[in-house]
Amino acid sequence: MTFQPRELGRIQQWMQSVITHPDGVRAGIDSGAARGEIDVAVSDIEQVVSRSQALTSIERLEVYGNAYFARLLECLADEFQAVGHAVDEEVFTGFAFGFLQTYPSTSYTLADLGRRFPQYLEEIRPDRKSSEEPDWADFLIDLAKLERTYSEVFDGPGVEGEPLLSPGDLQAIPPNQWPLVKLQPVPCLQLKTYRFPVYEYASAVRQETDPTPPPAEPTHLVITRRDFIVRRKAVPSTQFALLQQLVEGATIGDAIATVAATIDGSLEQFAEELRGWFENWATAGYFRQVDLPDATLIHPQRQVKLGVRDLRL
Amino acid sequence: MTVPRLGHPNVGLGVGLRGAHFPYILRNEPDVDWFEIISENYMDSHGRPRYVLDQIAERYPIVMHGVSLSIGSTDPLDFEYLAKLKKLAGEVDAAWISDHVCWTGVAGLNAHDLLPIPYNEETLAHLVSRIRTVQEVLERPLVLENPSSYITFADSTMTEWDFITQMAEEADCGLLLDVNNVYVSSVNHDFDPAEYLRSIPTERVVQFHLAGHTNLGTHLIDTHDGQVIDPVWELYRQAHELTGGASTLLEWDAKIPEFPVLHAEVLKAQRFIDGHTSVESAASVDETQTSSNKTVPQPATFITAEVE
Repeated sequence: MTFQPRELGRIQQWMQSVITHPDGVRAGIDSGAARGEIDVAVSDIEQVVSRSQALTSIERLEVYGNAYFARLLECLADEFQAVGHAVDEEVFTGFAFGFLQTYPSTSYTLADLGRRFPQYLEEIRPDRKSSEEPDWADFLIDLAKLERTYSEVFDGPGVEGEPLLSPGDLQAIPPNQWPLVKLQPVPCLQLKTYRFPVYEYASAVRQETDPTPPPAEPTHLVITRRDFIVRRKAVPSTQFALLQQLVEGATIGDAIATVAATIDGSLEQFAEELRGWFENWATAGYFRQVDLPDATLIHPQRQVKLGVRDLRL
Repeated sequence: MTVPRLGHPNVGLGVGLRGAHFPYILRNEPDVDWFEIISENYMDSHGRPRYVLDQIAERYPIVMHGVSLSIGSTDPLDFEYLAKLKKLAGEVDAAWISDHVCWTGVAGLNAHDLLPIPYNEETLAHLVSRIRTVQEVLERPLVLENPSSYITFADSTMTEWDFITQMAEEADCGLLLDVNNVYVSSVNHDFDPAEYLRSIPTERVVQFHLAGHTNLGTHLIDTHDGQVIDPVWELYRQAHELTGGASTLLEWDAKIPEFPVLHAEVLKAQRFIDGHTSVESAASVDETQTSSNKTVPQPATFITAEVE
């Protein structure tokens, strides 16, 4: 009788089910998914996987089973260093283990592996107590979101090598056109709000200073990349709101009017601070160019000296 | 008759490019012959990894080594992935593109491991067909590496070296002979590594890989975390003799040392290229056993973000 090997597809489905089973390869072999492909019991495993002189077939399969979780856990621990620091190793391993079962990798690159890790932490968070105050779970979720944003900004589109909008370029805007101007943000600019000052905690972890978790405090963060390194800066809520308006495509006039309408305090102080904010944003490289209302563009290095001081609310 | 190395040049002694060494390489421009990159770490990069690669590619030959082609999978080929691979190869003027004789996942999943296939006529036909398709898309021969493996299948009807020989001949592709993998698999599967080397079509060997591994007593794990041990150097010596020489690359992916240590390790290969026949004193690295259960077979290729 001619030897008829099993179909490759069935062997692969079977092996994948076995080595990725959360309870180990023995449970994997007995699982419905595996037995639906190759109906073999643990005791008969040598019908599928041969033994070696030193190891049984089960022990050999366990090399792959152990490696599957260990490798991907290592990658998640590298990406989410601060989350890993905030909880003990066993808890982080539990997070990673559950995550890999819920959202196994479907990408050719490990850079995509952690994309849904923050979402997973939100999905498994314990029920909130009666208090509306941010809790420990919120802290971990915010940390994970921050670290994922760092990864995406680090290797995403950037503007290195391109001229950016400078404070001088802002001064070149004709005063009567200021309200109608739009600013084009750099593609790596991210505006994020967190319930904790997670950026300080994450930086301390990277500097290996063994930080303790901070108390809750709403934190508005501007995250961008310059010279291929991720930069982050906490800004006050009014400044953050204005940046949000600009990034969403509002004209400077509309953005300022929208934010001004929300201010309880002194509008004069707000107006006085504007010039400094715009200069700081330009210095920090948040914007790449100015869109003038007549569709002409002011690019960096095309300078006409006009003062931002002429801006009026 | 096949041209040696499929016509590719012998570009000398190189090392795998890893993020930990970016600053050293840019600052010192070390006298290394060439670099091999993990393709997937750069295909989508718009940040520092790609910026560094572009600078290095201006000064050194680059070879692209992938870990996710999954040539042995029964899932459809990913043509978007292949298009990115081809684009990057053009942009960095890659000397050749390699991956592994393996599958990495099925049903849309990626285990990010180099999983073995049964070696029989059915799987041979499957791989040959897919290699031909990939080569048509990439418009160049594919170079495929023998993986380290930890199981063998009851459905195999031929040896790994017979399979790889027939695969390379029928698909007209190149081979990346990882002599450490031959050694690791020979211990794990109880075969003679020298027979493996003698059996493969030496003229198709475009490149060698060298690496360290971990000995767990009952089996070896391909961890890429240390020096090359003497038995592997001996296999390298034999492989060099059989092939007449090919580009040689050292992989070191865990417990990564300073760049000069890495470079010095691959330079040990020079004594065998110069015709020395004795392994002793070339490396003098004995194989030691460990009982660690935290051994992770490569590849693990994540590049972490740099934040101020």
